[in-house]
Amino acid sequence: MKQPNARLILRSSIAAGLIFAAGSASAEGQFECPVVGGELIVAVESGIPTLDQQTTSAGATRNVAMNIFEALITRDADMNPVPDLATSFDVSDDGLRYTFHLREGVTFHNGKPMTSADVAASFDRYREIGGNRSNLDAVEKWEMPDDNTFVLVLKHPQATFIENLSTYTVPIVIMPSEEAAKGVGEIDIIGTGPFKYVEFVPDSHVLLERFDDYVPTAVMETNSGFGGYKQACVDSVRFRMITETGARMAALETGEVHIATAVPAISKKRLAALDGVELASRLQGLSMGYPNFSNAPTDNLKVRQAMAAAINAEEIADAASDGEFQLQGAFQYPSQAYYSEAGLDMYNQNNPEKARALLKEAGYNNEPVILLATQQFQWSYNAALVMSEQLKAAGFNVELSVLDWPTALATSRDADGAWNFFFTVWTSTVQQGGPIALRGFADPNNVFTPPNNKGPAEMNEIFDRVENSATLEERVAAFGEGQKYALENVLGIPFGVLKSTEGLRSEVKGFKSFTNVQVSNIWIEQ
Amino acid sequence: MIGYTVSRLLQAIPILFLVSLFAFGMIYLIPGDAATVIGGPEASAADLEEIRQNMGLNEPFYLQITSFYTNLFQGDLGKSLMLGTPVLDAIIDRTPITLGISIYSLSITIIFGLVTGIIAALNHNKLLDQIATLFALIGISLPNFWLALILIVLFSVHLGWFPTGGYVAFSESPIGWLKTTTMPAVALALLQAGLLTRITRSTMLEVLSQDYIRTARAKGLSEWVVVGQHALANVMMPVVTVLGLILSVLLSGSIVIEVIYNIPGLGSLMGNAILSRDFPLVQGGLISIAASLLFLNIVVDVLYFWLDPRIRIKSRD
Repeated sequence: MKQPNARLILRSSIAAGLIFAAGSASAEGQFECPVVGGELIVAVESGIPTLDQQTTSAGATRNVAMNIFEALITRDADMNPVPDLATSFDVSDDGLRYTFHLREGVTFHNGKPMTSADVAASFDRYREIGGNRSNLDAVEKWEMPDDNTFVLVLKHPQATFIENLSTYTVPIVIMPSEEAAKGVGEIDIIGTGPFKYVEFVPDSHVLLERFDDYVPTAVMETNSGFGGYKQACVDSVRFRMITETGARMAALETGEVHIATAVPAISKKRLAALDGVELASRLQGLSMGYPNFSNAPTDNLKVRQAMAAAINAEEIADAASDGEFQLQGAFQYPSQAYYSEAGLDMYNQNNPEKARALLKEAGYNNEPVILLATQQFQWSYNAALVMSEQLKAAGFNVELSVLDWPTALATSRDADGAWNFFFTVWTSTVQQGGPIALRGFADPNNVFTPPNNKGPAEMNEIFDRVENSATLEERVAAFGEGQKYALENVLGIPFGVLKSTEGLRSEVKGFKSFTNVQVSNIWIEQ
Repeated sequence: MIGYTVSRLLQAIPILFLVSLFAFGMIYLIPGDAATVIGGPEASAADLEEIRQNMGLNEPFYLQITSFYTNLFQGDLGKSLMLGTPVLDAIIDRTPITLGISIYSLSITIIFGLVTGIIAALNHNKLLDQIATLFALIGISLPNFWLALILIVLFSVHLGWFPTGGYVAFSESPIGWLKTTTMPAVALALLQAGLLTRITRSTMLEVLSQDYIRTARAKGLSEWVVVGQHALANVMMPVVTVLGLILSVLLSGSIVIEVIYNIPGLGSLMGNAILSRDFPLVQGGLISIAASLLFLNIVVDVLYFWLDPRIRIKSRD
């Protein structure tokens, strides 16, 4: 979906409901599998912790589970909300009642027809133990007027409600009501998606097979992102967890796997030269870092501005990605509705002279600036090494603190921890639209750990408008202000967008590179 | 002999208690909790709180340690935070896989180590000795993770003899099992085989210079009987000591090897548990591994008893 359409969809929930309804009428020329059969083998780079999709934000879980489960509303390839298990929805004039019309004829993998009672039970479970249950804070209750209608009643109108409801970080997937009564990790993996669960051997593999009674949504002609018209062309899909990069690339090279995720830059040239192997790249996430507002010297605005001035973002992104990056200082991609260029004069300044002047102004007294990184991820460690040299050249006294990932992550959440600057990559944060992209710069989710977790009042006021302004235009304008404020006051420093590459065997057709591994509408040519 | 075994088993109890206390305490001294790992860097404060509540990580320390020991005495090692299954089940599921590979690897180690060690000793300072010593040195010097990757490149990518990874249970297909476990077993064995070669060689040289060997030869016994019966029996003592150690090194080495070869064994289970701060699983794994190593050591001690008449006589005195 192109940007004008995205803007239309996001304009207001009411308009979005109309578009969804109109979409259902254009259900012609739908995707058909050119070849059916075979087992698709996908090598994923991370261990899959669980398949209980409602309770985890792990991307490794989503890669697999989002082929088994579906949600009412989800996101397409451009991250716009699209209907999935709902075919459309209406919003009452006061903005308080969202009526979802469910896709008809849908059955679960155990053969039971899906009704609004299952949707309600799944929402009950999510409110109890869901990973992002605060997304339902605005909801007062839900109702089931009939088997195919589900109504969400809000406490107060929320302009971004559909955006929140469709977030994919921890999606509100629908499961049979009897499963929804079970606790974290205790459910049988039964969904409504194009593939059904067969086997999960932790640290080894997950096996799925085609669900023959799958009823796809009719609102689109083919699949897009998490949604759209999905068809299982292969008989089964085996997700193998091969965390060792060298072994994963070898498995792709020998043809033991059809698709391998996270191809490192160092292997790309060699793999690209091989017969039978193809590569597909996509934008993965924004490499960036943020300062600690509670520790000297980064509690000082001028010192932070000196850091921003000293940084050559291109060099850092290059090292962080082995050259696989795109320069970008905005907290949204240009294709997204909230994209703004406000404040970008603060990005990639590469101006050590200005930095020195700012340090002098700040009264900087050679206090150490501790860069907190982990060697487990190249985007962290390499970025820290390069930034350290750049800051030293501008007159900073820099110390590197290199810890294992869990320790580094926990330290970065501690305002009193021994750190001044932490490196991360914002993937879903940037992908999921304006309010989520700026969430980390406002109360109570401030990543820059201000004293007592009270961030700047001005930023909080702007963020409130990003979240709650009535029209998209107002929210987009507020987002630009928020990005400008964040960059000028150095709540975070963006370096650039890292790319991610998947490798695939050339007999695999129909592959679309997306943040989640897609196995629908993909076929294996014999 | 029974009394000896019982006394060794009783000695193991305080050691196991200390290990369990250490396992429980240590994990709380390490910063970073499971919730931050599961939530990731993009989780909001509210998300993390929700994850902690789901996992019961918010309970006070004294409640956690009380329930830890109450459960431990009932044979309950808790529930893995990541897998959602009982820790004991996870360990029991994974143990046969790792044990199978370890035994396979140990067999390679023993055959390769003993044979080359003996050949080297019998050909002291000759070409065969030098070749064997060189191989032993190469084995000791190569890190097993590097060797594991080189084996993949050579035998999977270039020759296509073995799959790059994965695991097939022996009960499903013995040939599949051999195909998926040979490279991991060799990668694990080579370092240990190098060590065993050197130990066997030096012990054998020492034994061969003893008076009773000269006497045996003077009696006109064949070289086969001299080496195979008289010398080898005395070489076994230090070798058995080393075998106990080798098996424990094989178990810990399996963490790296199982991750590289995508094998769902105890090693990859523990490796992931540590990286994801799955406290119950790390604690349970540590206690089980410590218990099995203690047991192994007891077995080695009892083997001494059986192998060496001098220990038997001393304990009778």
